[in-house]
Amino acid sequence: MNRLRKIRRTYGAFTNAGIQDFIAYRANFLGFFLGEILMCFVMYFIWKAVYASSGKTDFMGFSMVDMMVYVFLTNIAGFITGTDSTYSIAEEIKDGSIIMRLIKPVKVDLSFLFFELGNKVMLMTCVFIPVMLGLELYRYFALGYVAFKISRLILFVISISISYLLAFYLNLIFGYLAFFLLNLWGFNILKESIIKFFSGAIIPLAFFPGPVRAVFSRLPFASLTYTPVMIYMEKYTGSELVINMLMQVMWLAIFILISKLIWIWAEKRLAVQGG
Amino acid sequence: MIEVKDLKKEFKKTIKDPGLSGSVKSLFHKKTETVKAVDGLTFDVAEGEILGFIGPNGAGKSTAIKMLTGILTPTSGTLKINGQIPYKNRKQYVKEIGVVFGQRTQLWWDLPLTETYSVLKEIYMIDESKFKDRMEFLNEVLDLQEFIKSPVRTLSLGQRMRADIAASMLHSPKVLFLDEPTIGLDVVVKDNIRKAIAKINKQDKTTIILTTHDLNDIETLCERIVMIDKGKMVYDGSLMKMKNTYGKIREVDVSLFDGNSADKIKLSEAFGLTCEDYDIEKKGTGLVLKFDSSKVNMTDMLNYILKTVGVRDIAVKEADIEEIIRMIYRSEVKLSE
Ligand SMILES: Nc1ncnc2c1ncn2[C@@H]1O[C@H](COP(=O)(O)OP(=O)(O)O)[C@@H](O)[C@H]1O
Ligand SMILES: [Mg+2]
Repeated sequence: MNRLRKIRRTYGAFTNAGIQDFIAYRANFLGFFLGEILMCFVMYFIWKAVYASSGKTDFMGFSMVDMMVYVFLTNIAGFITGTDSTYSIAEEIKDGSIIMRLIKPVKVDLSFLFFELGNKVMLMTCVFIPVMLGLELYRYFALGYVAFKISRLILFVISISISYLLAFYLNLIFGYLAFFLLNLWGFNILKESIIKFFSGAIIPLAFFPGPVRAVFSRLPFASLTYTPVMIYMEKYTGSELVINMLMQVMWLAIFILISKLIWIWAEKRLAVQGG
Repeated sequence: MIEVKDLKKEFKKTIKDPGLSGSVKSLFHKKTETVKAVDGLTFDVAEGEILGFIGPNGAGKSTAIKMLTGILTPTSGTLKINGQIPYKNRKQYVKEIGVVFGQRTQLWWDLPLTETYSVLKEIYMIDESKFKDRMEFLNEVLDLQEFIKSPVRTLSLGQRMRADIAASMLHSPKVLFLDEPTIGLDVVVKDNIRKAIAKINKQDKTTIILTTHDLNDIETLCERIVMIDKGKMVYDGSLMKMKNTYGKIREVDVSLFDGNSADKIKLSEAFGLTCEDYDIEKKGTGLVLKFDSSKVNMTDMLNYILKTVGVRDIAVKEADIEEIIRMIYRSEVKLSE
């Protein structure tokens, strides 16, 4: 208990700084946010055209309304699970400023994590709540009844929190590659595209043929955004829901472990350039 | 407080042949070269002492500090500070030390300065009343008041350095490491910072190791210096002793009628001096000559010069400490005993 309180006090300060930092950069963020919303509408119209040309109202169990919800929810999930950890840690390793973390009695990974959580807290209040409200209003008018369930929202929040941690540690591992490679830029772009595709952010995994889908949904990328979205949309129920959430937890544990191992290895061999 | 024995750090540097073919080759076959950044340092520092680390660029000062602060693991040697081994349990060890790297900052760049201090207050678990007292003290010593509410990125270099020193002192560390705390600052600011460091050392009995290549830092702050060059220790002792030992170096500034005639001065032939005993520097028609006055006395030297070349003007000086150090670097004379 005492230890937990200590952790909260130490790293809570980072979260606080993260919140202040978000506020300092809110103008940047607004432009980015509007761009993403615009992208959602583009995706929406593309899918609308697909539905119209196919002449069907139902596509692999996805109605047009489902698709709308899917597109926006996936984007929100991308927003929440999006993390700068690859970039920020790689930068600090390359320019040596990571030593300023090492001279403090804190864990390096947690100091990054809790700072970013501060950003996420702000994101939740500024983006998640209004967009979800809009989405549910749309659903209500399109369907004519209330499809919203509080239990699904709670499960979604739990699942997306695991997703965020998963994304954080996955990206941290990529960031640690800066210990070995000097330039991560091209590599990072590749990583982003792979994650986007395999996580179902471009095309729902349900649309892939059976065997492909089976493989994709077992990969860690599906745990990132697809699982929480499917949970919210009630596409996962019963045992499927439990299995998918367990899978998220499993991948999270694996990634945390890998990142710790790399860190232990790297810390001993750390060579920092410059004054 | 600090015990360092035969401390060494080697870096492996990959070397690559120039051009594209070199890059391709290095992919398959990595050639490495070992750099001995710190090559056998041994010294002790007592509680409350201020030790000055001096040496030219690339001497290994920062590398040594990084090992002392637990950032780097030494290649070999032992190291004990405040009863702990820095690289063994970093998180525990750093609770009782403060560190400033003059070329970096530990302040949150985009946030007001106060935010950094509140984060540090939580990290080090400083309680409210202690924090207030401490801030008051640091404020008085380092004069933070006028910019404490400003975002760090808007601070001048001097303000930032003061803020950084305050940040490293907030938790009243037992040992303070300052790596070039006056780098890039103007004379007035440097002087303020020196005064602040001296005050902190006096009030808290903080043990301080500072590196610099500004000798004025050393003259005002340190009784004792350790000089390193190419990773090796070339001097360990008091500033006084160094001055006395090397104070024999004298300087003669000569202005000649004919600049070319300077070549006629041949001290090794005239007095049997070795190159460690003297140094000649030519500037146009000017000539600066430094020599060990215990080997040749000044009168003989002046007579020789006046006899050998046509002199317009001549001045005799006592070498300042900077000259002394330059001489030591050049000759690599072992002085430590
Ligand atoms: N990470 C590193 N990899 C390779 N060589 C390094 C590294 N860090 C420092 N060096 C080398 O070690 C030597 C000492 O550097 P440093 O400790 O920064 O000197 P100083 O602080 O005295 O100027 C230099 O020759 C430098 O090039
Ligand atoms: Mg240095």
